[in-house]
Amino acid sequence: MAALYSRSRLKLLLRSALHLSNRTLTGSGGKFDYDLLVIGGGSGGLACSKEAAQLGQKVAVLDYVEPSVRGTKWGLGGTCVNVGCIPKKLMHQAALLGSAVKDAQKYGWQIPQPVSHDWATLAESVQNYVKSLNWGHRVQLQDRKVKYMNMKGSLVDDHTVRCLSSRGKEMTVTARNILIATGGRPKYPTHVPGALEFGISSDDLFWLKETPGKTLVVGASYVGLECAGFLTGIGLEATVMVRSIALRGFDQQMSRLVTDYMQGYGTRFCWDCVPKKVEKLPSGLLQVTWTDSRTGQDHQDTFNSVLWAVGRAPETGTLNLQQVGVELDGDTRKVMVADDERTSVPNIYAIGDIAQGRPELTPTAIHAGKLLARRLAGLSSQLMDYSNVPTTVFTPLEYGCVGLSEEEAERRYGKDKIEVYHAFYKPLEFTVAERDSSQCYIKVVCERDGDQKVVGLHFTGLNAGEVTQGFALSLRCGLSYAQLRDSVGIHPTCAEELTKIYITKRSGLDATVTGC
Amino acid sequence: MADQPVSRYDLLVVGGGSGGLAGARRAAELGATAAVIESHKLGGTCVMWNASSHAEFLHDHADYGFEGACARFSWQSIKNKRDAYVSRLNQIYRNNLDKAKIHTIQGHARFTGDPEPTVEVSGRKYTASHILIATGGRPSTVSDEDVPGASLGITSDGFFELESCPKRSVIVGAGYIAVEMAGILSSLGSTTSLIIRQGGVLRNFDALISSNCTRELQNSGIDLWKNTQVRSVHKTDSGLKIVLATKDPEDKDVEEKTSSIEGVDCLLWAIGREPNTAGLNLGQMGVDLDSKGHIVVDEFQNTTRKGIYAVGDVCGKALLTPDEAIKSWGKSSVKTYTTSFTPMYHAITTRKTLCVMKLVCVGKEEKVVGLHMQGVGCDEMLQGFAVAIKMGATKADFDKTIAIHPTSSEELVTMR
Repeated sequence: MAALYSRSRLKLLLRSALHLSNRTLTGSGGKFDYDLLVIGGGSGGLACSKEAAQLGQKVAVLDYVEPSVRGTKWGLGGTCVNVGCIPKKLMHQAALLGSAVKDAQKYGWQIPQPVSHDWATLAESVQNYVKSLNWGHRVQLQDRKVKYMNMKGSLVDDHTVRCLSSRGKEMTVTARNILIATGGRPKYPTHVPGALEFGISSDDLFWLKETPGKTLVVGASYVGLECAGFLTGIGLEATVMVRSIALRGFDQQMSRLVTDYMQGYGTRFCWDCVPKKVEKLPSGLLQVTWTDSRTGQDHQDTFNSVLWAVGRAPETGTLNLQQVGVELDGDTRKVMVADDERTSVPNIYAIGDIAQGRPELTPTAIHAGKLLARRLAGLSSQLMDYSNVPTTVFTPLEYGCVGLSEEEAERRYGKDKIEVYHAFYKPLEFTVAERDSSQCYIKVVCERDGDQKVVGLHFTGLNAGEVTQGFALSLRCGLSYAQLRDSVGIHPTCAEELTKIYITKRSGLDATVTGC
Repeated sequence: MADQPVSRYDLLVVGGGSGGLAGARRAAELGATAAVIESHKLGGTCVMWNASSHAEFLHDHADYGFEGACARFSWQSIKNKRDAYVSRLNQIYRNNLDKAKIHTIQGHARFTGDPEPTVEVSGRKYTASHILIATGGRPSTVSDEDVPGASLGITSDGFFELESCPKRSVIVGAGYIAVEMAGILSSLGSTTSLIIRQGGVLRNFDALISSNCTRELQNSGIDLWKNTQVRSVHKTDSGLKIVLATKDPEDKDVEEKTSSIEGVDCLLWAIGREPNTAGLNLGQMGVDLDSKGHIVVDEFQNTTRKGIYAVGDVCGKALLTPDEAIKSWGKSSVKTYTTSFTPMYHAITTRKTLCVMKLVCVGKEEKVVGLHMQGVGCDEMLQGFAVAIKMGATKADFDKTIAIHPTSSEELVTMR
């Protein structure tokens, strides 16, 4: 965050800082409508507003969902609740149950064939659950005395926000502090003819009333892989089109294990391919033409649905940010923030997906929001620590990780200065079920010298999220390889394999676990 | 006898279970000559628990959109696979020992009266500078004198020999083995009753776990008999008849109530385990035992006789009681955080189970000294937290750790 502001900005900052201290002396109530106005009722916005209200601040939240290109809308709660984490995990769970049915037969369960899956039943249940969460959030805001307005916000000046309802009703509110937490939305590849007219995004997938059928997922981010994964798991034909690599930003060895598993699972992959155009046939099917960048050849196939998972863009377009002086990053168009989440305007803050350089994750937005609320109330000076944030990719074979990838560790420390311990293990659940465990793998990246401090931990397998959380805590406490090895395992679990690793990559030895 | 050749090793291990094998293998890696004496095969695993988990998931399939997932269970099929898997494991263990040049001696070991600690197996003698006793334990049984007909029941060992799913099961005991057996049998289709002497199961676990588990057992359809003991067991044409006596300790005036369960085809005693020390002839060896027959050891696994060590179930565990924190640190220094919730897995299922979690913290810095939880996925959640707690994690460390969303484990790092 060095050299964030130009000279003139610094002058503005100084002036505003003086101005700010004058304003705080007068207190709230008389001067402004609210102590804090939050634009965006998602993970970050709601967490901050509820915490601030609990600490005695007068708070209002504006939440408004611009319908997707296809017209999909949803209620309070943001991406995570409506079109992200929650519905994704439930659909992933449905897919896991599909595998469980197959396994169950090996475990002695005699199931009259065939077992089929009905999208409408799943979708309705998931949508109803999400709606109950929307309602729950509204009740929570009410209980905490946070004013909620289903209106679209835009900045008038550094303390004034214009609110617009879907029916055209307009009002203005003032606040001492403003938090921008409007998140992001899926990008469309507008240069591809037919992309907008015929494709859908993750905004639409979870709200479909009818099955998406045979689906082409364009994009190999975790969004693309997770969606293709659960579609395959519930019995649909799914293909992933990858421009270059999968799970960019993640450890690439782990990424390959994830996609290798998916290929064995039944998801098809088009590597090194880019879509050229999408057309609708008289039958209603979508015909996609794409180019294989290795050969330069064009190919075609038909699908029921095309899902664009080519990245997300920040929701800054209609906020009127730049006119008020809130600076955006030149490339990403996200809001530039300092370590304390402050934007270039001293009383305006930004957290969550909208903020430049932040992980696009719910828990970091929530955590940052709560800490910000405490700082704004003058109760704390603690800043958000964005390092060693654990995460899990909920693909058919789940991948949990915390800390550095092996590549990043090599870059930072040098290959000679790190030691990588690893193991290919076999979950007990896979044995009787006769499932292939070739991609079930653990990798712990450590500093080579001294205590061998752990700098990165990676796990593919079942329940990766549940396994990784505790290790994330251990990493935060300064975990070393010696401490990991000294720990007693819980038996029989997959997690215990992390306490038993001892083969290094450097040794070149076979890293397959062979029993106690 | 005096002239008989005695085979000598650096390390002699009596018992080829988890402790014994680990000890022997590590010794061999470090260059010692080692031998393992084992009288049976290497034991069972938790394959049966996986089978019963599937039973629960199959109930949820319809809620998740699956049509046609109704199922019947074939006990024979799973038994065959389980036995085959266990045999494979036995073979793998044997191969591991052979590869490490550790001698495997089949048979029952007894200490002899020789001046140097010596063990005899099937007429042959063995000695070593270091002898490790890792004979483990076995299920406790009730004598026919105490409870007439008790021997008509089986123990957890017998459970693994069952050829078919019992129609009507009665399990006696309140420990984790009894609870697991009852849960498995019930999910796989057996009408199951659980007889416990007091008011709840898992009394040696944290009170939160004990009460939640007792409740969940009943919710899952198991017929739980509290404050009840078995008085006698009778064989009839339609199966076993179990005579029970129930007495509520709170109510002094009420008489003991007698009931019976009939048509039982499986009575399973899961009342505890005892150490396998009786047959070792340890009496004149100078190896002290406690009142229950466990071998007494110090923190280095030394017994009271130099050169003889013991590890594993044969030593007995120091059971961590939940109130230990209060005993050690004083009530005012102890703070607990608890949470309970329905895991998101159940968001769309008709069947619901609860997840409960508790952190026990001490001192001003709120060092976490205990973590207890029950619920879906707790088995895989715990390992990482165990590592952190051993490192001395505090509540603040927990709070500073970012959550992984959506999971159940994140609830542990977001407790208020």
